[in-house]
Amino acid sequence: MKQSVFHRIKRDRVFLLLLLPALLHYLLFRYVPMFGIVVSFMDYNLFKGIWHSPWVGLKYYRMFFSNPDAWNIVRNTLLLGLYKFVIAFPAPIVLAILFYEMRWKKFRRFVQSVSYLPFFLSSVVLSSIMLMLLSPSTGWVGKAMQTLGLEPINFLQKPEWFRTIYIGSDIWQQAGYGTIIFLAALAAIDPQLYEAARMDGANRWKQTLHVTIPGIVPAIVIMFILSIGGILEVPFDKAFLLGNAGNRDTADIISTYVYRIGILGGGFSYATAINLSIAVVSLTFIYTANKVSRKVGETSLW
Amino acid sequence: MNMKAFKLTWAAAAAVALTVSGCGSNNNNEPATSASSSANPSQSAAATASASAALPEPAKIKIFTENNDAWPPKADWGVWKWVKEETNIDVEQVLATGPESLALAVSSGDMPDVLSVFQNDVQKFGPQGAFEDLSKHMDQMPNVKAYLDSHPDVLSRAVSPNGEIFNIYNDGAGDGSQMVWFYRDDIFQKNNLEVPKTWDELYTVSKKLKELYPDSYPFMFRHGLGTLDTFGPSFDIYPEFYQDPADPTKMKFGLEDPNAKTMVEWLNKFVKEKLIPPDWLTMDYKAWTQFMSTNKSFITVQFIGQIEIMNSQLTEGHLKFMPPPIGAGDKPYLPKGGQEGYSLAVASTSKNKDAAYRYLDYIFSEKGKDIQSWGKEGETYTVVDGKRKFNDNYKEANDLRVISGIQTAATYGWFDFNAWLSLVKPGEQESYVEAPKYRFPVAYARPNLTADEASELSTSNDQIWKFWTGEVTKFINGDRPLSEWDAFVKDLGKHDLEKIRTTYQKALDRQIANTK
Repeated sequence: MKQSVFHRIKRDRVFLLLLLPALLHYLLFRYVPMFGIVVSFMDYNLFKGIWHSPWVGLKYYRMFFSNPDAWNIVRNTLLLGLYKFVIAFPAPIVLAILFYEMRWKKFRRFVQSVSYLPFFLSSVVLSSIMLMLLSPSTGWVGKAMQTLGLEPINFLQKPEWFRTIYIGSDIWQQAGYGTIIFLAALAAIDPQLYEAARMDGANRWKQTLHVTIPGIVPAIVIMFILSIGGILEVPFDKAFLLGNAGNRDTADIISTYVYRIGILGGGFSYATAINLSIAVVSLTFIYTANKVSRKVGETSLW
Repeated sequence: MNMKAFKLTWAAAAAVALTVSGCGSNNNNEPATSASSSANPSQSAAATASASAALPEPAKIKIFTENNDAWPPKADWGVWKWVKEETNIDVEQVLATGPESLALAVSSGDMPDVLSVFQNDVQKFGPQGAFEDLSKHMDQMPNVKAYLDSHPDVLSRAVSPNGEIFNIYNDGAGDGSQMVWFYRDDIFQKNNLEVPKTWDELYTVSKKLKELYPDSYPFMFRHGLGTLDTFGPSFDIYPEFYQDPADPTKMKFGLEDPNAKTMVEWLNKFVKEKLIPPDWLTMDYKAWTQFMSTNKSFITVQFIGQIEIMNSQLTEGHLKFMPPPIGAGDKPYLPKGGQEGYSLAVASTSKNKDAAYRYLDYIFSEKGKDIQSWGKEGETYTVVDGKRKFNDNYKEANDLRVISGIQTAATYGWFDFNAWLSLVKPGEQESYVEAPKYRFPVAYARPNLTADEASELSTSNDQIWKFWTGEVTKFINGDRPLSEWDAFVKDLGKHDLEKIRTTYQKALDRQIANTK
């Protein structure tokens, strides 16, 4: 018997009610603010508001793409996101497999907990640690290099070092915590598969290659697609805190530029236009990745 | 059972909703209640009539102020108590937590009633309508009017191209916030070293100090590239745009001057020979104090008040004011100090404008100047032989800020600097006497722009700033050879230099025409 919509709502009312807070949250804090993107097409004046500010069409989009700094900023963001994606994405997978293979459970638990810890540091603290460690005059790294007879490198004022520092500290901070999802996926692998593999004479390495990794591929694919969308969304705080006039050639990314122009400079329309352009590109990335994944394999986001 | 569970969930959800909305309305109510209390004189007057008949009706305003670690703001500072006693206004401080705080306050639509702001803030938000045009309310602020009439320089800085006055600049305490040079005179004496008079001598003396103290960086500063604003006048320039002292009707971009190259050459030499710490660009206050107090640095550039603060922290050794060394030309110069950067504005959205005007009128009055600078007799100072003497709990000038909030942003309008000087030890007074002798002929300031001009330049200013700070850092660090300096100067043109120059030139012409 087919039930009417009303009937089904009545039947599931408790569940729907449970859903309500999350739904409200999304509506209020994710969807309503989206209407704010209209300011990117206006000469937005804070006190005239959205209804009375004059429309200027694509003026601010043109302004961004004709700005000589734009290419450098987009390139920095893209490269940082790409390196992070290529280098930092596999790190938790490898780490999770290593944890999984560890035999001494107590030690494993200890290492795991220690590897989670840096995740709970705020990026402000992390950046201060980096600044202190890497200072060529007072930092430990500089001193260690000196005792080895090397000239201390001025890491934080050299554009060529910024990405290494950024991604290195990212891996240190997030790889441990990132293992959680993969460990959960690993736990779900049927032990019988390993038994069967052993019967067929597979050694540990072969077992990893043919049982463990295929077992977590769906989790990897989902995480992969999700992080593709993040390539262009390099977070603001660390780049801002570690950036200075010395390394700005590589450290100035979209979010730090938007902060300077939009928030410090009060150019709300311009900053919104930049962010919207980036969001569109990110969406294309995710959409393409998902489409490819659906064609090639059977896992996809939607 | 099912029904019961449903009811429980509903109750919980309702409770959450109530708390949320409760919080929201609580926040919104605050200005509303204070507005109604000032708008409802009969009721409030009755309440205070017994306390003091002469005082106006009570009011409450929020003031946006600095948040300085060296004098953490306190709600029970004397300055706010005296405001309450004199004007019957309760003040609540809203603190700036970062450079973006003001922008966020303005865009949130919930601005504090009175705001302490800088010129560039006013430039950004004034023409958009964030601040009240105070020139229309001078009848409510006779003392502010008198203050402006007696300070034509303050007035000319405050007037916008369209004749509005969005902010009133503070005055009086500028001498306490300028950057100066100082050095360890005990180390110099011990080693028979002469105080350097030129950058050449600064270099030789630093070399000698480096030989004597091999693990030191003899010369150090903590404001990164911002320190060029102080070095510049030694070379007869400021780094970016200012009024050309040779022809005050023209705007000049300092880095185009050949002297800028000399300045950068010197700094490059200092860095190369490790006379300046390699991380000069990112030094903070903590690192600076560490270097200065552990015999790791001997010559420095810092705020004038730091000489005394450091001297009282040094277990051995002594710091002394140093005349700025000459880098080019024949006169030693410091930036033109004496002016204050902080100013006060009233939010256009404020519901307590009358109280805000009353507050401004008080702090810019003679009486307000006296009380907000000195506090009250018996409470903060006593009169000995006709001279005022602060109580013993104020040990050094900075204690005025720490203990009572005296001379902190937005607590005064017009400061009596003698209050500050009276706590500066006799041995430390010298720097305050000496520094004004080295003032550069022009201030490092730009004329006010119209809203259109400012929005035209918003990205250009960022572009040129990003370009020159990056390149100059490379030159100083030796990552780009100085032989390419001329190419750098030429490339400035690719970063909107001419557009910026024409705009400011137009603004300057207008300002000159208006003051004639």
